[in-house]
Order: sequence, then structure tokens, then C-alpha cells
Amino acid sequence: MQQAELYHLLKQKYGFDEFRPGQLAVIQHLLAGEDVLAVLPTGTGKSLIYQLVGSVLPGLVVVVSPLISLMQDQVARLNYQGEKRVAALTSQQDYGSRQQLLNRLDQLDFLFVSPEMLNQPAVLTAVRQVQLALFVVDEAHCISTWGPDFRPDYLTLGTLRNQLGDPVTLMLTATATARIRDDITRQLRVPTAHQVLYSVNRPNIYLAVATLSDETAKRARLRQLIETVAGPVVVYFSSKRQTDLTAEWLRDVTGLRVAGYHAGLSAEDRFKIQQQFMTGQLDVICATSAFGMGINKADIRMVIHYHLPTSLADYVQEIGRAGRDGQPALAVILYVAGDEHLVQSLNDLTSATPAEIAADQQRFARKQPAQDALSEVLDHYWQRGIDPARVSEQFVARAAARQRELAALLRYVTSTTCRRAVMLSYFGEDAPEHSLTCCQLPGADLPLDQLGLKRGAAPTTSEVEDWEIQLKRLFLLNF
Amino acid sequence: MFEDYLLRLFSVTPRRAKAIFNVLRGRRTVSTLFAGLTYGCLDQLDSWHGVPLERFLATAEALVNQGFLASPQPGYLQLTPDGQQRVAATTLYRPVALSAFQTVAVRQFAAEAQLALQVVSEAVHQQRRYYPVTTDPKTQARVKAWVRQQSRTREVAAAVYAGLHAFLGQLDPQLAAIFVASLTGYRQPGLTDAQLGVRFDRQPIELLMIRKDLTCQWVAWLQSHPKDPLAGLLAPLVKASPVSTSAQRTVRDFSQSGDLNQIAQNRRLKPSTVREHLLEAAILTPRFPFKRVLSPAVLTQLSDGFGGRQDVADWQFAEAQAVNAQLTFFEFRLYQIMRCHDATS
Repeated sequence: MQQAELYHLLKQKYGFDEFRPGQLAVIQHLLAGEDVLAVLPTGTGKSLIYQLVGSVLPGLVVVVSPLISLMQDQVARLNYQGEKRVAALTSQQDYGSRQQLLNRLDQLDFLFVSPEMLNQPAVLTAVRQVQLALFVVDEAHCISTWGPDFRPDYLTLGTLRNQLGDPVTLMLTATATARIRDDITRQLRVPTAHQVLYSVNRPNIYLAVATLSDETAKRARLRQLIETVAGPVVVYFSSKRQTDLTAEWLRDVTGLRVAGYHAGLSAEDRFKIQQQFMTGQLDVICATSAFGMGINKADIRMVIHYHLPTSLADYVQEIGRAGRDGQPALAVILYVAGDEHLVQSLNDLTSATPAEIAADQQRFARKQPAQDALSEVLDHYWQRGIDPARVSEQFVARAAARQRELAALLRYVTSTTCRRAVMLSYFGEDAPEHSLTCCQLPGADLPLDQLGLKRGAAPTTSEVEDWEIQLKRLFLLNF
Repeated sequence: MFEDYLLRLFSVTPRRAKAIFNVLRGRRTVSTLFAGLTYGCLDQLDSWHGVPLERFLATAEALVNQGFLASPQPGYLQLTPDGQQRVAATTLYRPVALSAFQTVAVRQFAAEAQLALQVVSEAVHQQRRYYPVTTDPKTQARVKAWVRQQSRTREVAAAVYAGLHAFLGQLDPQLAAIFVASLTGYRQPGLTDAQLGVRFDRQPIELLMIRKDLTCQWVAWLQSHPKDPLAGLLAPLVKASPVSTSAQRTVRDFSQSGDLNQIAQNRRLKPSTVREHLLEAAILTPRFPFKRVLSPAVLTQLSDGFGGRQDVADWQFAEAQAVNAQLTFFEFRLYQIMRCHDATS
């Protein structure tokens, strides 16, 4: 397909005149039948790539996606863009609905599915019976970061791809070090895939860290940031309960419109809060990492991490939701010495010693059921006849990788020199020269004036409207 | 709070806690249904569907520990004086229409209506690009089919508006406001229960109950206004009777032949299943033909023994059998059910 035709399609289908960095190159490789690993920064329209390729090539686009909430977002977004033949196959659907969907796969253009679901024989059989336009692994870094000790089904994606007849494959991620990229292509068995790499650097996001003495000081700084820096704002936490509690507190003390968001909410509540935020009816969202993948809001001005993320790769992903409109934005980590212990203990939840692994293998041999999340993960290996020693090796290697990731993150947090340089060197990139609007060095104030990020208007409170007027506004035109 | 809703289900006399919880969770065994009938909470059958039994049990245990409930014997709970005071003092919303759960797939209707109202609201404002509320493929397919059946967008929207306005106009204004504020549509994502709780100064769990009850009230309103566009969405989700299809068939067969063993043979059912079917029907339909099953002699005997006693749930089968050794448990239970219906009619 000629380049001019692709531009025409871009304009006609999506209303854009220009491709974003990386999009065109990836699309051209895919249309030429080549596999691609694309590392493109968040906000560069990764989904447009498979949408456009899907509209050119005949057959179904299968998108392997890690989270149900992300799949729901993606389906909703494609619906929004006028794609009607889209569905997600998830464990939330009952057997009948799933079966119905599998029976009409040939009528779909896009199918979103988790690795676990695709691994089910009935699903795999149904997908094998339709023509595939493209096989997409979204958030492909999960293969490396989630595979061994959390979602082992990610490790079978290479086999699944073979069973699907080696369709043209697109691996998408926003952040991947050389090591992770190598892991992805090895696990998916596409060593010759083209790699289209764009910098993880987002120069319009100012990088800051506030080192604080204790939890009280942290809360005070959170409040001060929310009250003085322009919104909309996302505050990330590692616990569900804390999102709700902090949202309530911030609402009370700032008078701003604040809501909590986490995977424990009902689908209806998640939808409503997400849409309120998208349409500017919320100033602040207090969220776990369940919020964000799939969020396409261009004007987020600040992302705060109340708790440390688990790695720099996660951090880059999460702050990448800010400033997608290209305007200045601010990313702040609130750090109290010792916060890393929380990350450490979360890491420990999914780790296991060789002795524990061997004991669990004995449990499996005695035909006793899995009793905890770790046993369930290990069952995956035992069912495939993998030797405990090899499993131990993988767990040891993964634990070491997690340690390295945490250490790299701490180097960034405690850095006394340019943070952007520390971050970019982790991803093997050179940094631009440090400037006032690059990042915060110890002792420096936030340059809110220079960044144009001072909160302007007084806190907003929503007025309660009469129900009859609200009803008219919903259903009567020209009201 | 959930605790207060739970406390309301108990009285000063002991009640079987698990049976009550199973009524709320929608379990339809005869023993559960009978408990619901004797404890006067059958109208809440299935209204807390999906809530795990463990959550009920843990909440009840907490209420016992706090001194609001007491357990006079294993499995039974009753209100303490403190519990009575707490029940009397609570101002939590009292649902009035939950019995709709017996004959209507209320949750499915709520999901379909939410999407249908969003589609109509966006369509009348000529919006083609919007995020549809998250629903399963079945709900989407059913709403799509409903949308196709509608005439012109503006007329449908006007009719939907008129219907909702009429329905909401008869409610307490705060309830109407809650209903409308929770809707999703043009430029309105809708408020969550937690947000409604803040706005209307109520607990989120109360909002959950209010919205559930309002959906049930709306269902009842639509059933009496069959020309409303949303009535078309509701109709396929309504059953004619709360009784299961198989039990209805047993009742029909019984009214023709009157012979339980014959029915069991014809339908290849165990005789005990046939009796369970009749008991289920008797519990859920007050106009059940009791006197076709209970002979005049049995009725007289049981009336002589239990006629003056109101504590139906506490009657012992052994007492009745002492008078008439031939009496079956089926006859005894049926008489109990009849007396419960008599007391409430």
C-alpha cells in the first residue's frame, strides 16, 4: 500500500493529517508482513496502529491484553471511534455469553483477550478457525515483568502464536529496556522482529521528587501540591483502601472534586468515575495502577506517586499519562525513607524459595489442590511437567531482576544530579542538557511559574441541579 | 449500614439466621422459602443476590459481639433490648418494592435500561461518538434490538422523558433526584453510590438499597404503563409467576389428576420432588388450592391442635403426629403454609 493511501485512510477514518512518531513505520512493516516490536511513548496512539492495519487487511485482529478493565476501556474507545465489530472475551462473562461470542468470531474485526483466556482450548480452537489479520500483544513488557511469577500464561504466548499459524505479530509497549525487549522477542519466538524504538523521554513532563520526613509531612505536601498546582491530577497509591480514604480527605480539605478509583469498584462505578474525569467533572483521581492503561485524556497536568512504583519502567508508563497534549506537566514522587520496604514486601508476595517451590511440587504430586495464589501460579508449571529446579532458577532470576529494578528506581529517587539523565540512562538513552524546566534537583523549588502550572481558579464545587431540569437536559433537544 | 439492614430482619423471638440470609441471596429451597414466609421476609427474596453467605455470617457475628443480637441456641439469632433500640432508632431507607425480584430479572433490566437510556439521550443530541456504559454482549445485543424497534429518535426520547417524568413525579423529590443523578447520558456520566451518598448525606449502602428499590418501583410502574418505550425492554424479563416452571407444571398436573404418585411416574420425578414442587407453589402463591390436598379430616385435626397458636414457625411435627400417626410431614407443612397466608390475608 502506498504511503499516500495510508495518509488518505488516516484522514478519512480518524480525521488526522499526520501520523504520530513511529506510527507510519510500524504500519508499513506490518503491511509488508513483518513482525514488529514497537516501543513508543504513551500517548502516541498505539491502538491506531492495529486499528488501521485491521481496516486494511482481511480477517480478525486479536489483541492480547493484560487487564479486564483495560480491555473494557479499549472496546469502549474503539466503539467511540465508530468500530462496531469489537468484543472482549473475559472471565467476567458467563459460559453462554462466551460461547455466543466464540460462535460469531467471523463477524468481528477486533477481539480483546487475556493470555489465560486465549490459552483455553475452546477459545484457541475457535480463534484458529478464523482468518487472522494481525496478532497484537499489548503492554508487551508484561511478558517479562509479569510472566514468571505472576501470570505464567504470558510465557505460553509464543506457543499459542505458533498454534495460530504464526500470524503477523505486533508487540506494543511504552517502555522496555534492551533486556526486556530481548525477553519479549525470545518468549514470543520472533527473534527477527523489526524493532521500532522511540525515546521514553517526555520533555514536557517536569520530573520531581519530594523527600519528606514522615507520613504526616507526606500528606501535608500532597495537599499543598493539589491546592497549588494546576489539574487535572492523578494520584497513585499501592493500596485500594488508601485511595478511598485519601480521596475523601482531599475532598473535605480542598473542596475540589475528588474520587477514588481501584479494581474493587463495580464496573458501573469505574465507568462513571473514568468518564467524569475524562469530561472534566473531576479535578483529582486517587487511584491504584488499575487506573490509567487505556486512559486517553490529553490534559492531565500532574501525576503524583504517593507510594513508590515498583520499577522505573512502571513509573515512566504511569507518568506518561500526563501532558499528552504536549503542554507542560508535572510528575512528583512523594518519598519517605523506607518507602521501598512496601515495594519489597509486595515483591515478596510473589517470590518463593527453592525449598518452598520443591514443597509445592510435592503438594502437586500428592494431588492436593492449590491453596494460595503462589501455588496456583506454580500449578501452571507442574501441569506442564517443568522441573522444580528450573522453576527455582526462574524465580531466583526474577527476584534478582526485581531487586535491580527497585535499586534503579531508588537511584532515580535519591539522585542529586539530573533525574532525567538517570532515568534515560536506565533505558540506554542519552539525556538532553539539564535545564530549569527539566527536573527538580535536591533543595530546588518547583518552577511552577516557568512551567505555567499554578492552579488558577478557586476550587470548584458542583452545584446540585433540580432533577426535572437534569432530566430535560438528558432527553430533550435544545433545552 | 449493612449491619442495620441485617438487624431489621430479626425480632425478639429466635430466627434461623442462615435461612433468612439465604432468602436474601435468592436460594429457592423449600426450607428457605418457608423460613421467608414464616419470618415475613419473603418479599425480599433474591434482593441481595451475589452477596456471599460468609459476609452475612461475619456481620451477624459482629452484631452478636456488639450486643445487638443474641444466640439462644446454635443457628438461631434474636434481637437484644439494645438491638431493638437500634432498629427503632435507625432512619435508613426502607425499601417498598423488592418483591419485583420474584418475577422480574431486575438486575438484567437495570443493566439494559442504563444502556438504553444512554443511547437515547446521546442519540437525541446527535452524538455518535461516546463511550457506551460497560455491559456484556447479551445486554448490548438486546438493547440494540430494542433500539431498532423504536421509531424516530426525537419521538422516542420525548416518550422516555414523559414516562420518567410521570414516574418520578409521584416519588419523594429526593428519591427522584437520586434516580436522575445516577443516570448516564449526554454530558452526564452519572454519579456513583458513594458520590450520591455525599450529595444526599446518606450511607453508600443506603444508596445501593434506594437505587435497587427505585428500579423495582420503576419496573412496577412500567408494568402498568405498557405503552412506555421502556416497557418493551422489560416485557421479556418478566415471568408470569414466581414459581419455577417445573413446579408450575406439577401444580397444573395436580389440578387435573390429583394423584401425586401418578405425576411422579409420568414426569419421572421422585415423589418427594413432586411434593417439594407443591410446597414451593403453596408458599409463593397464596391462592394455592390447599383444600384439594388436605382432606377435611386432616384439616379438622390440625385446626383442633394448632388453631389458636400463632407461632407457626415453632410448631413441632411430633406434636401433630402424636394425635394422628398417619399424618405426613408434607400435610403438616402445607397446613403451616396455609395458616401463614391466612394470617397475612
